[in-house]
Amino acid sequence: MTELELRDLRKTYRARGRPPVEAVRGLDVRLRSGELLGLLGPSGCGKSTTLRMIAGLETVTGGDVLVGGVPVTDRPARRRNVGVAFENYALYPPLTVRENLAFGLRARRRADRGDVDRRVALIAERVGLTAVLDDRPATLSSGQKQRVSLARALVREPDVLLLDEPLSHLDAAQRDTTRREVKRIQRDLGHTAILVTHDQEEALSLADRIAVMRDGVIEQLGTAHEIYDHPATRFVADFVGEPAINLLPAVTAPDGRAAVSGAVLLPLPVRLPPGREVVVGVRPEDLALTGEDGVRARVLAHEPLLEYGVATLALDGVEDPVAALTDPGTRLARDDRVRVAADPGLTHVFDAETGVSLR
Amino acid sequence: MREPERDVREREREAGRGAGRDGRGPGRDGRGARRVAGWLADAALVGYFVFALFPIAWMLVLSLKPADQLFSTYFSFTPTLGSYRTVLGGGEGIPFLRFFVNSLVVSVGAVALSLLVGLPAAYASARWRFKGSENLMFTLLSFRFAPELTVIIPLFVLYQRLGLFDTYVGMIWVLQLVTLPLVVWIMRSYFADLTPELEQAALLDGYSRTQAFFRVALPLVKPGVAAVSLLAFIFAWNNFVFPLILTSNEAQTVTVGALSFLGGDRPKYNLTAAAALVSVVPPLLLALTIQRYLVRGLSFGAVKS
Repeated sequence: MTELELRDLRKTYRARGRPPVEAVRGLDVRLRSGELLGLLGPSGCGKSTTLRMIAGLETVTGGDVLVGGVPVTDRPARRRNVGVAFENYALYPPLTVRENLAFGLRARRRADRGDVDRRVALIAERVGLTAVLDDRPATLSSGQKQRVSLARALVREPDVLLLDEPLSHLDAAQRDTTRREVKRIQRDLGHTAILVTHDQEEALSLADRIAVMRDGVIEQLGTAHEIYDHPATRFVADFVGEPAINLLPAVTAPDGRAAVSGAVLLPLPVRLPPGREVVVGVRPEDLALTGEDGVRARVLAHEPLLEYGVATLALDGVEDPVAALTDPGTRLARDDRVRVAADPGLTHVFDAETGVSLR
Repeated sequence: MREPERDVREREREAGRGAGRDGRGPGRDGRGARRVAGWLADAALVGYFVFALFPIAWMLVLSLKPADQLFSTYFSFTPTLGSYRTVLGGGEGIPFLRFFVNSLVVSVGAVALSLLVGLPAAYASARWRFKGSENLMFTLLSFRFAPELTVIIPLFVLYQRLGLFDTYVGMIWVLQLVTLPLVVWIMRSYFADLTPELEQAALLDGYSRTQAFFRVALPLVKPGVAAVSLLAFIFAWNNFVFPLILTSNEAQTVTVGALSFLGGDRPKYNLTAAAALVSVVPPLLLALTIQRYLVRGLSFGAVKS
């Protein structure tokens, strides 16, 4: 199998009469053989552009793409041996599933008919499409279409597999099963793969490591736990986690805590000099409702869900509401008085200006 | 062009009847009112039908009349196919059959040339924005909105000098000015509607851009090619000004040829009518044969997944 490396990869779009747009600004990533990297970020962060540059569908402004240690930056798409499963499946409507899969193999003259049939049958079995091989794409479910798209990318035995939002068009039930399928297939075949997605759940469940992108740069690269437990920037903290983290502007106090709105004092994970402007982050799941001590707050709303509840609270003297998870069975009504406390080991603190973690 | 129109009318009529028949809810009176409305719609459509077809019926009558009853205004006459015989047999010293063949050659030639050049051009302009691409497209379109008469005199002089006057090549070249913009502009939107990922998947599989165009994009826009070919053919076939000025005999087409029966000491309206009706046949046959594609082609969107 093959390593994939991006070295200072850049893409700048230039249009006459408009300032140039730097879509990707120097990516450095190295994927181990067989690793699945998730590129996670909001739309417009450059993740799809990155994927298209790796595939050779977009010209590279600067830097290099290396497959198996060999630079392929100057090669056209057809000479890179990269497979792409497109977001909209890109299946050819007039052809059956079998013909769609064989279409890619026929491009290279070397494959003889028997070989094509054998490889199509093999991949169809791997992804569970044998029963629908003679159907046309229009008659398939979205989950099946996604699997055909995946099989189509895999049938040529590419060195690198690229998945572009592979689950975004599936409904919730199909998403779960297809996600497991994709994971299993990628594991079984051992492809080095990149998954592009804006859906954190997809990235968390599929990827070995996740690169969180924003404005053309990687804000943080790490495992799901590293990113969740130790977000490197305020943006990463905000983007990953559901419900979203509470972020409160604060000023460090002489006692080592941080004062929010000059009133509430929150514990910090590190000791910082007093008077510094910071943003304190507390995940809703790390904010505990306590009986006696802690910060006084008023309940604004409470949504009891099955495994947990989400309480929206107004800390006394603080304008921005915060969210806190509650245990199942908790009963709260609007305007109830509660006290909340945050574990200093689980709070995050970011520089107010740069957004970089100060932990 | 007449066929889809008829389709629409029939559909409308059926819709009208349908509403009359199975209109439930409002009760008996409502149903009766709807039935009357249906009849009124039918009557209106019949009225329009007569209005639309009357000139053609008149031409048909004219073409079947013998020369001596030509100017009678009542409908009793001795029908004869003599006019057709004269026209097709090259009577009156006018080689109408040759004009007919000329029309076929130059129209098919112009359409073929336009497809050959226009399809790749349309594809390129739909897929890539390059320097001046919009200007180029606009220039192409401007050939269409400039009246032919504005350029006909310089063209005439040029054609005389270049030896293109009254030749097939010359006619195909000038009719291409009419058909090419049509092909490029219509096909451009067809190509733009195809998702580029289809071709990109082919590129990744190892196909070249040319192969991707021929094997992926082109087969998917076939209905559009059928529709635009027919339109282009009709425009080329019906063109009057260019053959009138730029041909004299060798490459003259039916549109001008049919009119030559009006010359001479007495205008032969029956022969003109017969010639005109004969010249309607090819576009009509073409429209009928590709009607299936045409309806699909004009209501595009089926390819999107």
